[in-house]
Order: sequence, then structure tokens, then C-alpha cells
Amino acid sequence: MLELYISAVVFGLGISGILFLVSIGISIGFGLMRIVNMEQMVYYTFGAYLTFALVSATGSFVLGLICGTAAAAVAGFIVETQLLRKVYGKELMFTMVVTFSVFLIGIGIVQYVFGLASKPVGMPFHTIVHMLGAKIPLYRLMVFVIGMLVYVFINLMLNKTIAGKAIRAGIENPDQVRGLGINLGRIFTVTFVIASGLAGFGGALNSPLVGVTPYMGFDMLLFAFITVILGGLGSIKGTLVSALILGQVISVGGTIYAPLAFVGPFMVMFIVILFKPTGLYGVRGRAFGFEE
Amino acid sequence: MTRKSGAATGSLKPSENGKHVMIEKSNERILEVKELSVSYKTLHVLFDVSLEIQTGEVVVVVGRNGAGKTTLFRTVAGFLKQDSGTILFKGEDIGHLPSYEVALKGLKYIQQDKHVFADLTVRENLELGSYATKDYDWDRVLEHFPKLKTLMDRKGGNLSGGERQMLLMAQSLLGKPELVLMDEPTEGLAPHVIEDLKGAFKKISEQSTLVIIEQNLPLTAEVAHRVYAMKEGKIVAEVADKKEIQDLAFEKYL
Amino acid sequence: MDKLSRYLRGPLTLVVLIVIARYFFPNKMTFLVEITTFSIYIIANDILYGYMGMVSFGQPFYLGVGAYASAIYLAHIGNNILVAIALALLMGLIAGLILGPAFIRLRGDYFALINAATCAMGLFLVEKILYPITRGDDGLWYRSRMHATPLLDLRKPDQFFWFAMIVLFVVMIWYTWLDRSAMGASFRAIKVNENKMKFLGYDTFKIRWTGYTLMCILAALAGSMYAINYGFVNPSITEPARAAEVLVATLLGGAGSVYGPFFGTFAFLGLKDLVSTFVSRWELAVGVLTIIVCFKFSGGVWGTIQTIGAKIRSRGKASAQSAT
Ligand SMILES: Nc1ncnc2c1ncn2[C@@H]1O[C@H](COP(=O)(O)OP(=O)(O)OP(=O)(O)O)[C@@H](O)[C@H]1O
Ligand SMILES: [Mg+2]
Repeated sequence: MLELYISAVVFGLGISGILFLVSIGISIGFGLMRIVNMEQMVYYTFGAYLTFALVSATGSFVLGLICGTAAAAVAGFIVETQLLRKVYGKELMFTMVVTFSVFLIGIGIVQYVFGLASKPVGMPFHTIVHMLGAKIPLYRLMVFVIGMLVYVFINLMLNKTIAGKAIRAGIENPDQVRGLGINLGRIFTVTFVIASGLAGFGGALNSPLVGVTPYMGFDMLLFAFITVILGGLGSIKGTLVSALILGQVISVGGTIYAPLAFVGPFMVMFIVILFKPTGLYGVRGRAFGFEE
Repeated sequence: MTRKSGAATGSLKPSENGKHVMIEKSNERILEVKELSVSYKTLHVLFDVSLEIQTGEVVVVVGRNGAGKTTLFRTVAGFLKQDSGTILFKGEDIGHLPSYEVALKGLKYIQQDKHVFADLTVRENLELGSYATKDYDWDRVLEHFPKLKTLMDRKGGNLSGGERQMLLMAQSLLGKPELVLMDEPTEGLAPHVIEDLKGAFKKISEQSTLVIIEQNLPLTAEVAHRVYAMKEGKIVAEVADKKEIQDLAFEKYL
Repeated sequence: MDKLSRYLRGPLTLVVLIVIARYFFPNKMTFLVEITTFSIYIIANDILYGYMGMVSFGQPFYLGVGAYASAIYLAHIGNNILVAIALALLMGLIAGLILGPAFIRLRGDYFALINAATCAMGLFLVEKILYPITRGDDGLWYRSRMHATPLLDLRKPDQFFWFAMIVLFVVMIWYTWLDRSAMGASFRAIKVNENKMKFLGYDTFKIRWTGYTLMCILAALAGSMYAINYGFVNPSITEPARAAEVLVATLLGGAGSVYGPFFGTFAFLGLKDLVSTFVSRWELAVGVLTIIVCFKFSGGVWGTIQTIGAKIRSRGKASAQSAT
């Protein structure tokens, strides 16, 4: 019985790793650019599909990871420079609709290129580690560790580098950053490319766990939404904490009572939002939309 | 209300050591705003505003709340786009430039809300200014604000109003701007703090041309070479006579 | 009497036009009913977005509430279609009253996202959790269980058409009234400046709650009309992916206007119909279409019609003046 829960906890950690990677872009995109970029899941999907293609073609998962991440970053670069720049500062509805449309177009492209059928991606390794009697796939543990490393890396970047400080300042007050003479647009682009790369990376890492389908982004979008709402839009720490909570809710909750894997995250979000409308670490004020 | 052309009042000698490049009041126009009209969506706020700023001047813009002063400054600084009209900075049309380029050209705008980056320390706030302008000469800018030197590791969010304003001024001086626009720098500050800032205005004005929005009329009388009065989106008066300024003659236009 | 006719004229014209269209293009009747139903759904969203400025990315949920309320009643409990519709309205009201206080406190971005999450939740409910009642993806089929209604037999498509016309007529009159009423004005005021409303002593929470609940009821009405017209319901009606359709149609028509929703629906469904004959993948087509609409026709169809109308009128006036 105990083994069951231990392995559930570890599974949950793996899920947290993925959730964090794919949500970070939505959270930062909101904090910095004040848009809700619904199309983040396109990069997630691209990352997964490229991994699938490369693993099938070359058998190398690492190559798949790299190319998946790169492809997602390139897609992010194109979308940001060609389209999103035109929607910054526009009203919420507009940006959401535009980014959602990009999402739909991305799904359409994937369907054209790869077809509708779901495709399996082989596990890079099947190593099992034993922990207090529970058998745990090393890969899931690795996904979690990678997620945490990314968090540490992002934090270092934001707190130690001057560009990172400019991003933090930009989240607080974009106009003032510009007023100092900083080209915030370029910082937006770099941030966005990193965020979409991370979403692609998340997709690549998740592909052996869930397989790839054109609609995989839709399923993930829901969880990504819940993650950022629960954590608080714009907060990276919040995104991490909420990814950790949700991973356990999905995995341990699902072990206790299967439907909780799906309903649980929603319930947690709902309850938190009732008491704290801006999520766990969300900031009040400045952001657009109505107050509170 | 005619402009005294070539009035040499307040001219200062350039300093020898080259550390301060003191500017002289001259006839050279550093900023020309011609028939500027600005609106927020359907709300028309500025109507054909024209003004000229001479190099080395200290000009104060006065006007009631909602007169459009901030809107004027924000447009000049590139944060808002005008519907029509031109903005010339050192003879160059900057009306279409994004705000960060305007700043890099040497026109800085200090916003009204006294917002400093709350999450960053004073040092980091200054670092950002240096990062943008590649000007790391902090001694020069901190000279006028000795108090800031003792606060380097304090978070922006924990500074008092006066300290914030000092930090903002120091930050804006990085990159040696030729023109600094300040939006109600003394708003909400205690009298003794205002007294400190007054000294800072004087010192800054030795290095840059200064345009200040001010509601504090006695202060205006003290620092201004020239005063523009704004009302309902228009410039309704310009007072250049020192005597008239001292007598607060512009008050009747408000 | 004159006052009344002001509210009646527009809606009546609209309905008469649809009826004429039905006789000119008899094979398009299904399409016209679809437009009618869908435009009620869009009006619901327009109250939320066009008037109050609240974006929801989960409108299919509210449609689903109505559809499943009617469907579950018809499939398991009773046979009376009118009761099924009444139940849908009631469920819409309840959803609005219960979810409202939680949702409308949220800031705009959170509101949009929590609706998306709610919608996905709703889909999961009807697909999996309530499987014994909803039969999941197989859907509920109950056409044979529906009993004839007096006067109009809603089981028959051509009679349902008339029913849809009556509903549209009533909804449009109400909507025209709303547009001009104090309530409509307060919705708009909230969109523009909520704080000011608060200062003026309005209870903005209540105003929003009212608008949100009205949205729920109308969307549920549309859902119930779908349920009855089709005779079956499956989870695809509440699919979150279709949330975009609602927003596109709203934008396409021109948000916050009386006839925007109808023309938006007409344009959207018409285009979708056209496009689907050429390409099978709706995602790509809808995505591209939406982006074009967003960037090129920001005023929407109705807005464009109005500007053209205004131009013609001013030209007419100018020529009239030059003639004198
Ligand atoms: N972002 C905005 N959107 C719409 N209207 C605005 C906006 N900012 C300012 N306004 C309006 O424009 C007008 C001019 O505002 P502005 O801030 O320029 O005035 P001001 O002279 O700086 O006033 P104050 O002394 O209060 O700072 C006001 O009527 C104000 O309500
Ligand atoms: Mg102002």
C-alpha cells in the first residue's frame, strides 16, 4: 500500500516538472507582455512532434529533445515578431482571440503534416529505481529534476543578470523601463523565445509519457491554465508551487479516487480563487482588466 | 508676454575640469512642439499645443488637474502617439520614435507616479539606467543626492516619497540627457523635502535643460525662467518676465 | 404606442427577412434555424463581452448547461418539450446565481481563464463522471420520447422554425430594450470605468452578477433549442475548443451592438459553411479567418454596415443640400 503512494508521489513530481515547463510561458507572457498567450501549447505540440519525428528517424531521443526545443523556439520567434508585437497593449479579448487563433492554426499545421492519428514515442530508457519498496521509473524522476533545474536557472537569470533585472522591472512597470532607454521589445522577444523553447522542451519530455496527437495541446492547455491561475499570473515562484501542488493532486489524488486526477486540480484552483482571487502568488493592481 | 530674446540671465560658466559640462542659456531651441493634438481613443485631450524650449532654460508648465500636462509630456517622450502635429528635439522630428529611442537621444521623462522598481534595490535601479545608456558614471549623478549613497541596498519599494524622487532624478541623469521632463516632482512631499529637491533642480539645470510640471506656485516662481499655463488641453499663456513670474501673474490663467 | 413600435420595428424586420429567406431558399431552412439559435448564444456572450467587457473563454459550458438540462429531462424523466425548455432556463439561472459570485470577483484575465477551465470541467463531467446519466460520447438520444406540443409541434423541423422565429423575436425585443435601458447603460458604464461607478454609489457587484446571470440564462436557452431541434446531445456541444467560435462570431458581428450578434453569426456560420466545402480541417480555417477579422475588420460586420450606411446618408444629405 505504501509503495503505491510512494510511486504516486514520484509520478506526481514528474507531472509537476512538465506542468512547470509548459506553464511558465503563459505566466511570464502575462506578467511581462500583459497578454494571455494561449498559443503556448502550439510550441508544446511542436516540441513533442519533432521529438517523435526524430526518434522515429534516427532513434536518438536526445537529438529529438534538442530539435524539438529548437523548433519550438523558432516557432515562438516567428509568432512573436510577426504577430504578437502587433497585439501588445491591445485589450485582453483581442489578444486572447488572436493567440487562440494561432493555436488553432498550429494544430491545423500539425494535422496536415502528421495526420490525425496518435503516435507513440519510445522511452529513452526504462531504468527502474527501487525506493522504499516502490518501483519507480527513473525517467519520471529525471523529468522532475530537469523542471527544478530550469526553475533554478530562470531564477538565477532573473536575479543575477542585468537583462533579468530589466525583465523584472518590465513586469512591474513597462513604460518606465522604456523611459530609461531600454528596448523592451527586444527583451520581449528574447523572453518569448526562451519561454516557447521551454514549452517545446516540456512537450519533448512529455512525448514518451503520453504519446503525441494533434490535440495534445488542448488537454495540456487546461492544466496549464489551472497551473497559472492557481499560482498567480506573472509569478514564476507561484507557477512552480502550483505545479508541485497540482502534480500531487493529479497523481496521489488519482490514486485515491480515479476521477480526482481530472477534477482535483480544478477543485483546488476553484477553492483558492474563492479566497484569493489572484491566485497564490499573484499580484494585485496594475494589470489590466477589472480590479481585484 | 513677449519673449525676451537672448536674455542672458542665469548663464553659467562652463566648468574647467570637464566633469560638468555646464550649459549656457541660448537661443538655440532644444525642443519645439508644433500644433500637437492628442486623444485617448475618442477623448480629445490636447488641442494644437505649441511650445518652444530654449537650451539651458528652466521652464515650468502649470495647469489644473486634467489640463493635459501629463499627456503633453508623455507624448513628447514617445509614450503616446499624437493625432497630428510635430515634435522636434534638437531639430530632429521625434514624433514617431518609440519611447526608448527618445530616451537614448537625450530626452528623459520622469513620470508623475514616482514609481521606482519596488522589487529592485537602489543600486539595481541605477544599474538599469546605466545598462540602457552605457553611462556608469554614478559619482556624477549621485553628487546631487548624497542621501542616496547611504541607501544603495534598500529596496525601491521601501523608499520614502522624497527618496524615490531623488532616485528617479539620479536615474534619469544617467546618459547625460540634454532635456529632462519632470512630472510634478514635488507632489505629495513634505516642505523640507521640497527644499532639498529645489537645490537638486538648480544643480540639474546646470547640466540639462529642465521642463517641470508643477502645481506648487511659490516653488514655480522660484525656479522658473519661463512659465506656460495650460487649460483644458490648450496653452493659454506664456509668462517670460521674471517680475511677472515672481508675482505669480500666471495664476489668473488657471 | 410609438414607444412600443421603436422596440418592435427592428426585431420584426429581422424576423420577416428570415421568413422571406426561408421561402426563397427552402433548402436553407436548417441553416436559418442554426443561425437563429446560434445568434441567441452570441447575444448571451455579447452581454458579457460587448456590454460589460468581460471575456469568457468557456461559453460552451453555459450552452451545455441548457442542452444537457433539457436532454437529461427528455431522456430520463419526462416527455414535455416545454418543460424541458423551462428546466434549461432554470438551470441557467441557477448556474448564474451560484457561479456568479465566485467568478465575477475575478480580474479580467482570471475570469477568462477560469471559464475555460470550467468548460473543460463540464466536458469531463458529461463525458466521464456523469456517464450513467449522459452516456458519455455516445450522447443522449430522445427524439422518440418527445411528445407533441400544442399549437406548434416542435418535433417537426418546419414547425420548429416558427418556434425559433418567435423566440428570436422575443429575445431581440428584450435585447433592444436592454440596449436602451438603464441596465444596459450601467453594463456599459462598468466596462468603461468601474471605479467611477463605485464612487457614484452603484453596487457594481450586483450589476455584474445580473449581467452574468442573464448571459447564463440566454446561453442555456440556446443550448436547449439545440437539444430539441437535434433530438440528441453529445459532449461536443460543450467542447472548450469551440469557445473560440463564440468570440469570433461576437467580434465578427461587432461587439456591444443590438444587431452585431445576429450578423456576426450569419457571417461566421456562412463562412464556415463555405470554407468547409473546400477544406476539411476547420482549425486551420477558423484560425486564419479569425486573425483576418481581428486585424482587418475590427468594427465587425454590423459596424461596417453602419459606417457604410452613415456614409451613404451623409452623401445623401450633402446632395440634398447642394440641390437646394
Ligand atoms: N489613459 C487615459 N485614458 C483616457 N483618458 C485619460 C487617460 N489619461 C488621462 N486621461 C484624461 O485626459 C485628461 C488630461 O489628463 P492628464 O493626465 O494629461 O492631466 P494633467 O494635467 O496631468 O492632470 P494632473 O494635474 O491631475 O496630473 C484628463 O481629462 C484625463 O481624465
Ligand atoms: Mg499629470
